[in-house]
Amino acid sequence: MSVARLTLLVASLPALAGCSEIQSALAPRGPDAERILTLGLVLLVGAIAILLIVLVALVLALYGSDRWRRRLASANAVKLGGLAFPIVTLTILLGYGIWLMREELAAAVRPPALRIEVTGEQWWWRLAYLQPDGSRIAEANEIRIPVGQEVEFALNAADVIHSFWVPSLGGKLDMVPGRTNRLRLTAQREGIYRGQCAEYCGGPHALMALEIVAMPAEAFERWLAAAASPPEPVTEAARAGRDLFHRSGCGACHAIRGTEARGAVGPDLSRLGGRRFLAAASLRLDEDSIGRFIHDGQSLKPGNQMPEFRIFSATELRMLSAYLASLK
Amino acid sequence: MRPSACAKGGPLSRASERTKTVVAALLGLVVLAGAGALLVAWLGLYNVAASSGHWPIVERFLRFGMENSVKARASGEPAPSLDDDDLIRLGAGHFHAGCAFCHGAPGTPISPVAAGMMPSPPDLKQRVGHWRDQDLFRIVKHGIKYAGMPAFPVLGRDDEVWAVVAFLRRLPVLDEAGYRALAAGEVEEEPQSGQEIATGEASEEGAIGACARCHGAQTGPKSRLVPNLHGQPREMLAEALKSYASRERQSGVMQTMAAGLTEQSINRLAGYYAGLPPVAQRPLATEPDAARMERGRKLAEEGEVSGEIPACLSCHAPGRSPLYPRLAGQSARYLAGQLHVWKSGLNDRTALGAIMAPIARRLSADQIADVAAFLASQPAADEARR
Repeated sequence: MSVARLTLLVASLPALAGCSEIQSALAPRGPDAERILTLGLVLLVGAIAILLIVLVALVLALYGSDRWRRRLASANAVKLGGLAFPIVTLTILLGYGIWLMREELAAAVRPPALRIEVTGEQWWWRLAYLQPDGSRIAEANEIRIPVGQEVEFALNAADVIHSFWVPSLGGKLDMVPGRTNRLRLTAQREGIYRGQCAEYCGGPHALMALEIVAMPAEAFERWLAAAASPPEPVTEAARAGRDLFHRSGCGACHAIRGTEARGAVGPDLSRLGGRRFLAAASLRLDEDSIGRFIHDGQSLKPGNQMPEFRIFSATELRMLSAYLASLK
Repeated sequence: MRPSACAKGGPLSRASERTKTVVAALLGLVVLAGAGALLVAWLGLYNVAASSGHWPIVERFLRFGMENSVKARASGEPAPSLDDDDLIRLGAGHFHAGCAFCHGAPGTPISPVAAGMMPSPPDLKQRVGHWRDQDLFRIVKHGIKYAGMPAFPVLGRDDEVWAVVAFLRRLPVLDEAGYRALAAGEVEEEPQSGQEIATGEASEEGAIGACARCHGAQTGPKSRLVPNLHGQPREMLAEALKSYASRERQSGVMQTMAAGLTEQSINRLAGYYAGLPPVAQRPLATEPDAARMERGRKLAEEGEVSGEIPACLSCHAPGRSPLYPRLAGQSARYLAGQLHVWKSGLNDRTALGAIMAPIARRLSADQIADVAAFLASQPAADEARR
């Protein structure tokens, strides 16, 4: 491969990452992510410049004239290049970094527009929208937020260390059992931003993703308010599915608001049908995939905590899927 | 051997020549012996007839090898307490179905068919005293090659093997009535009419397959290690029998009983037990303490979110799917035993086992004891009649 082609290939790599803007630190859609990108670019350009200077010095030291070699070998060159230059550069960089992060530091005293509690569990995200009256609305795996408003995420972990990272909106923050880390994010544009557990947490860690859906503020308020009035299944199949759901003990682990299902072991399913994905953003949600996950979950997401329910016939799976898909 | 030492014709070289000759002669002998053995087998010179027996010296040599093999390979682990009524009754139930045909039983001599085996099955009353508990365990679990003694149907269920060993320890002191009480329970072989005996309508063999020998019919199970089937859902009972018959669910005792059942008789049997009114378990000698009961109640009714343990009664209660067993009123020993079987990695191959196995694995031994004690204390609901 020629040097030119290799250079071209390497140079085009960052562009490749930008192709998928749904999960990319190079496609910032929030002030936090923008600052991280800016800082990243400053670091990259600065590091390239310093590397060039070092390379030039190296070439001069090897092949340069005697005058250059004497200069480079002098005590002054070492004092200047080895001490003064790093001290000045790093001090400036630290100052710049703190100045850039002033927003985050100030955020601690500014009340956020919305508070959401996110708990990392093997291998999904437990959500609770904290209401002004102190009540909590349980959700899982798909986080809806109002666009343009600052949202505070209270990050916890239930079992092992996880890490919450939605690159398009902001930085990465670990979720540590026994403590709460707080992260502020604002989505500047409507859209869907994908995130990923960024700390290996065992088994199907790679299939522990999430999505943040930024929607217009009024639409978000309507969606959140609708949680108070859970839908009743209307079709024959969905009603049969509801009865089967309760009879089969699904409510031991899963909760559906307004029903006898109050289990808190697994994800809340009150609005499963409104989500884009199943199983922590690892399986596109449709009626077919719901049934497949119930029946063959260990093949689709090996090691996940839900036992496979191979006791259900195809008809029963269709009924269960119809019911769960109707919950929006 | 260093080649430099043999390079010139010294004493060392002569020694090496001699070694070579000896090795060659030995190799020749081995080849000759192999060819001889092949010839004996090929020409059918050895008599494999069971009727021909062994020469006394061969007999003694074989027994010597067998006994040493069993003793050398028996586990060094201490045996559980074998003076245990529940264990003995369970073992007796299996002995009657699985062992008595060849070994006989108090009141029943060894069958003439089995007596024609070579070696013929020993009268265990005479022989069990010869072995340690661990030796008996080894023989019951793994069987004896070339002797017609089969291995236990399932190798993972040591608890069932110990039950048989516990019974064998009791066997020498049992008379016919004592044996009947243990092995047949309430199933009585009434004096039959000539016609019934002739047509096999109510034959003695029928009693071997009788579920009520262990599970009871008018009364409950006679051992606390045996589940109470009275009033359980029909679908659950049928599924359990099918998974035993297909050998997917691991129990040497139940595979033996279910193997011969047709689907039709499985459904009828399940219907029979499902229709029986619940019976109370024999209570344990000591009541579990209140703290244990409360921990068990919490686990059974609420589960434990931090341990990913769902509440038992979300599934195992009246009104839930008829594929799930009802646990209230089962004996604590049986419940704990089954949970430990799942925890040890067995019984997860069936569709229903695949649901329970991962949940059981999340339970600690203490939690198993707690929840089993609580569920055992609950009255069984009479679902079929509501």
